Amino acid sequence: MELWGRMLWALLSGPGRRGSTRGWAFSSWQPQPPLAGLSSAIELVSHWTGVFEKRGIPEARESSEYIVAHVLGAKTFQSLRPALWTQPLTSQQLQCIRELSSRRLQRMPVQYILGEWDFQGLSLRMVPPVFIPRPETEELVEWVLEEVAQRSHAVGSPGSPLILEVGCGSGAISLSLLSQLPQERLRGSSWMREDRAAPSPLWFTDSNAYHIYLARLWPRRKGCWSRVIAVDKREAAISLTHENAQRLRLQDRIWIIHLDMTSERSWTHLPWGPMDLIVSNPPYVFHQDMEQLAPEIRSYEDPAALDGGEEGMDIITHILALAPRLLKDSGSIFLEVDPRHPELVSSWLQSRPDLYLNLVAVRRDFCGRPRFLHIRRSGP
Amino acid sequence: MNRHLCVWLFRHPSLNGYLQCHIQLHSHQFRQIHLDTRLQVFRQNRNCILHLLSKNWSRRYCHQDTKMLWKHKALQKYMENLSKEYQTLEQCLQHIPVNEENRRSLNRRHAELAPLAAIYQEIQETEQAIEELESMCKSLNKQDEKQLQELALEERQTIDQKINMLYNELFQSLVPKEKYDKNDVILEVTAGRTTGGDICQQFTREIFDMYQNYSCYKHWQFELLNYTPADYGGLHHAAARISGDGVYKHLKYEGGIHRVQRIPEVDVKLDPKDLRIDTFRAKGAGGQHVNKTDSAVRLVHIPTGLVVECQQERSQIKNKEIAFRVLRARLYQQIIEKDKRQQQSARKLQVGTRAQSERIRTYNFTQDRVSDHRIAYEVRDIKEFLCGGKGLDQLIQRLLQSADEEAIAELLDEHLKSAK
Repeated sequence: MELWGRMLWALLSGPGRRGSTRGWAFSSWQPQPPLAGLSSAIELVSHWTGVFEKRGIPEARESSEYIVAHVLGAKTFQSLRPALWTQPLTSQQLQCIRELSSRRLQRMPVQYILGEWDFQGLSLRMVPPVFIPRPETEELVEWVLEEVAQRSHAVGSPGSPLILEVGCGSGAISLSLLSQLPQERLRGSSWMREDRAAPSPLWFTDSNAYHIYLARLWPRRKGCWSRVIAVDKREAAISLTHENAQRLRLQDRIWIIHLDMTSERSWTHLPWGPMDLIVSNPPYVFHQDMEQLAPEIRSYEDPAALDGGEEGMDIITHILALAPRLLKDSGSIFLEVDPRHPELVSSWLQSRPDLYLNLVAVRRDFCGRPRFLHIRRSGP
Repeated sequence: MNRHLCVWLFRHPSLNGYLQCHIQLHSHQFRQIHLDTRLQVFRQNRNCILHLLSKNWSRRYCHQDTKMLWKHKALQKYMENLSKEYQTLEQCLQHIPVNEENRRSLNRRHAELAPLAAIYQEIQETEQAIEELESMCKSLNKQDEKQLQELALEERQTIDQKINMLYNELFQSLVPKEKYDKNDVILEVTAGRTTGGDICQQFTREIFDMYQNYSCYKHWQFELLNYTPADYGGLHHAAARISGDGVYKHLKYEGGIHRVQRIPEVDVKLDPKDLRIDTFRAKGAGGQHVNKTDSAVRLVHIPTGLVVECQQERSQIKNKEIAFRVLRARLYQQIIEKDKRQQQSARKLQVGTRAQSERIRTYNFTQDRVSDHRIAYEVRDIKEFLCGGKGLDQLIQRLLQSADEEAIAELLDEHLKSAK
């Protein structure tokens, strides 16, 4: 009950809304005394850091810096013009900071408070309860980009892989891949005419007839440009990915589909061809670890984006089991996992020789933990 | 790391009967004899009067600013006085006999004031129409005459648009014309001092390209007069003649010092074994288990002991990239310093400092922002700005607008002073 109450409150009072002084039964929020006189950015950061620390809010200094910087129009406090550090703030700005900080006191993640966050240098909208991309996942994208570059170099043609992302969330992985993968277009008027004739692939719900119609149009888009199909079972994630795709003007290259890949019937009618790559940051938290997660995660993020079942393997094994149906021969799967998973996945793959999948590489994250898997398909 | 380049603007030398030559864009460089940089005025062989209401221009003023300006008492008083003067002149010219010389000057003044008086009258008539409309609206019975109310609202909107247009016209008519606005220019760019690396010369080339693209964007002609490249693809100095509609008017505020802040792309080899990367370390499993916002990165180069920290971005991988670039640049700097000290320098004197000119603009590549210091105006997306298209044009329009506002304020001030 508490979780949904908090999420509803978060959804209703979005970032930047004025006058949201909703009394909330569960809240232990106390009104802060008004700050005497006009304060400067540095003083405010110091003030709110103290407030957060007293209330046991983690990342007290970082949180207050991000909030103050955001209100002053910058992404980080360090990137603010030094002149702005000591200038007095307007009362509107002070009020805004107060509102945003009160949400931090409710343990709302900073990314949801600001309504946006960066991933691989892209600015993405963040809306609860859609999963907030983690910094580790930036390295997953790096790895995929390296592989694509290597592969296209070997083959001698520019890489234009067809990529499937399972569980796109805010669209972080798909959109950062698209924004960095090469895209070339065929020159000449005929291409442009075709381009305009085909409708841009919008997100849509599971409707077979519509699937097939679009599938007939899409293959006509000749030319070397990479495309991504992003799939998620939550409608909130679908619409957020769509919004972010539009913000980044990538909506023509991404196909966003509302789909629960764990349900059998979704994959029976596949309108599109086999993939070159499957990428995913699937829910991989061990179920028993869920209740130990910080309140920021437990109370605001969608548990379905985190909970991977008893050994955190449920969704992972589902994706791997679908590989023969979805993946080209010698196609690859890139996954982010829990540090305990490389061994578990390895032994699971050995128990399923029918899948013709091999764990070819394990990569560590910047903390030295085994975090990323590269699995390749080889066989009929 | 700050670098300077100077942009000098000269009004183009006069040559009667000079035809505008067709401009070619040379991508290869050539050297030329030094330019004659005497200031001379180019008389344009055009008879047409530039229409004041250019398309881009009027849109700029279609907002509250001109309305506010109008409400300003000083402006109203000024217009009233002008209108009175105009009427007096009319009376004079019609009824009172004057000698030829006086008549000519009176006629000239009459002609000057005519458009202003006309606009003023139109504004007054429109304002009256608004008043009448408002009083009519008040008297309408809410229930019965809803349709009439809607019509009145539509009419009000049309009138509002009209009066905004009139304010714009007036505003532009009032701005004192600069004598040289219609002239063409010679644009000269020179790279400033550099202490290591060639960021400045690279930047100089990018700026010169930007003005070339801008000339294209404005449908002007750009004639290359001088192009002196530096090493590694940079530009030492260059000059071009730019001709077309209102070139000087648009480019007159570009002269001055443009400062660049940028970390150079340096090709320094880094062995991963020599590096230690520090980031926030979460306890336990990390990844999905943790939500942290601390994306600071610290890079330690073990052999030299150089430490670079970066918290510029929210994206950790971007902070890492920036830290690497800064580390490379600093290592490069160290290498250069070492080389310099090893070399025996024959020169006792340093290169002479440039004349102190005002620093007008800063291009900060790390924060992806261009700031013009005269109007405290910031533009994002340097890459787009350097394309010399809409971004630069918008900044220039703002500069012109600002200058015009100052000019009008000055005009009104003088009028007030003389009236006392």
